[in-house]
Amino acid sequence: MRTIRAFADMTMKMLLRRRTIYGISIVILLALLGISRVPSFDVGNEGRFILDFGMFGLEIGALLLAIGLAANLYPRDRESRVLLPLLAVPLSRAHYLLGRFAGAALVQMASLVAGCLGLVAVLAINGYAVPPALIPAALLLVVEGWFLLSVVFFFGFWTSPPLNAPLTVLLFIISQMSVREFVSLLPAASGAMKVIRLLLPHMDAFHIKDPIAHGETVPLLYFAVAAFYGLCYTAFILTVGLAVFRSRDLR
Amino acid sequence: MRPAGASFLRALSAALFLIACALPGDYDIEDVAPTSHLGEPCEHDHGHGELQEAGHEHHDDAERQESTQTGMHVHEAGQRNHGTEWFFNQPWASPFIWPKMLRDSLVLAALAAVIALVSRRLTRRA
Repeated sequence: MRTIRAFADMTMKMLLRRRTIYGISIVILLALLGISRVPSFDVGNEGRFILDFGMFGLEIGALLLAIGLAANLYPRDRESRVLLPLLAVPLSRAHYLLGRFAGAALVQMASLVAGCLGLVAVLAINGYAVPPALIPAALLLVVEGWFLLSVVFFFGFWTSPPLNAPLTVLLFIISQMSVREFVSLLPAASGAMKVIRLLLPHMDAFHIKDPIAHGETVPLLYFAVAAFYGLCYTAFILTVGLAVFRSRDLR
Repeated sequence: MRPAGASFLRALSAALFLIACALPGDYDIEDVAPTSHLGEPCEHDHGHGELQEAGHEHHDDAERQESTQTGMHVHEAGQRNHGTEWFFNQPWASPFIWPKMLRDSLVLAALAAVIALVSRRLTRRA
């Protein structure tokens, strides 16, 4: 555990030295500022628009952060020949993956929390009430971000970085579809489509912006169930990624 | 790829196939929702001739006449109806789907543990 923590710390410092995290965070904050300038067209409760668009922006930000932070980690370690000496003595492959993931997850969480605080500031500056459910909703966004991060790590072990990003975005899009919608994409092979869809996560479980923007109450139990679901899926994808990584001959 | 890798990939394929069999296609909320969640269907012309759901509110005859003329009608705010069913068919509003989410989570956690153990064993053997 101490090894993983030390390697996660190293990963975090390395990611914070790069410009990627600052670039994406600035884009998220600029988008939130832009959202606050969207006119309400005289529709009551303009705060609803800011909340709805703002949380959507944070979700897209989580996707960008996952790709920006993690798509290059493994390929860069391999190309710069850092990976073999690391795996030769101090780290096992599981330690390497968990350390890299934990470091990137912490940086991503910090950026998403900053984005959420930005959304709160935008709401407060414009004189709108901040719904209390925004905090658990932001935590659910963090879990969704971690899941996307694990997907990027998984693809990173067997694809190149330019292919990793479109594959992750594709998975993000199709995971939002219901089983019925997904099967309707290729009705001729409905059985195969159903099996493929069942292996993909149900990311609509993380969609919480609609009830919050419309003032509906979401039970706290739901946040716990959805977060548990997201964490279990993250663990599953990471384990499959680890298995692929273990099967790789790095020489 | 090492020989252990090939046998691992076979084990992984089998595990993924098992997941596909273990998790039945019962996740679409509109397919599995009880009637109490969907509301009672009623036949009502919305201008597109489909079976729609309850929850419509026709305030008086004048409004009904106006609604019919313009092809519009009024629903009670915040209620489930044909226009808002997408909103109420989300997992947060469907408590009957939560046990399925828990079931899937536990299946995934168990599979993660099995895959981790199997891949570790295969790597050590190689």
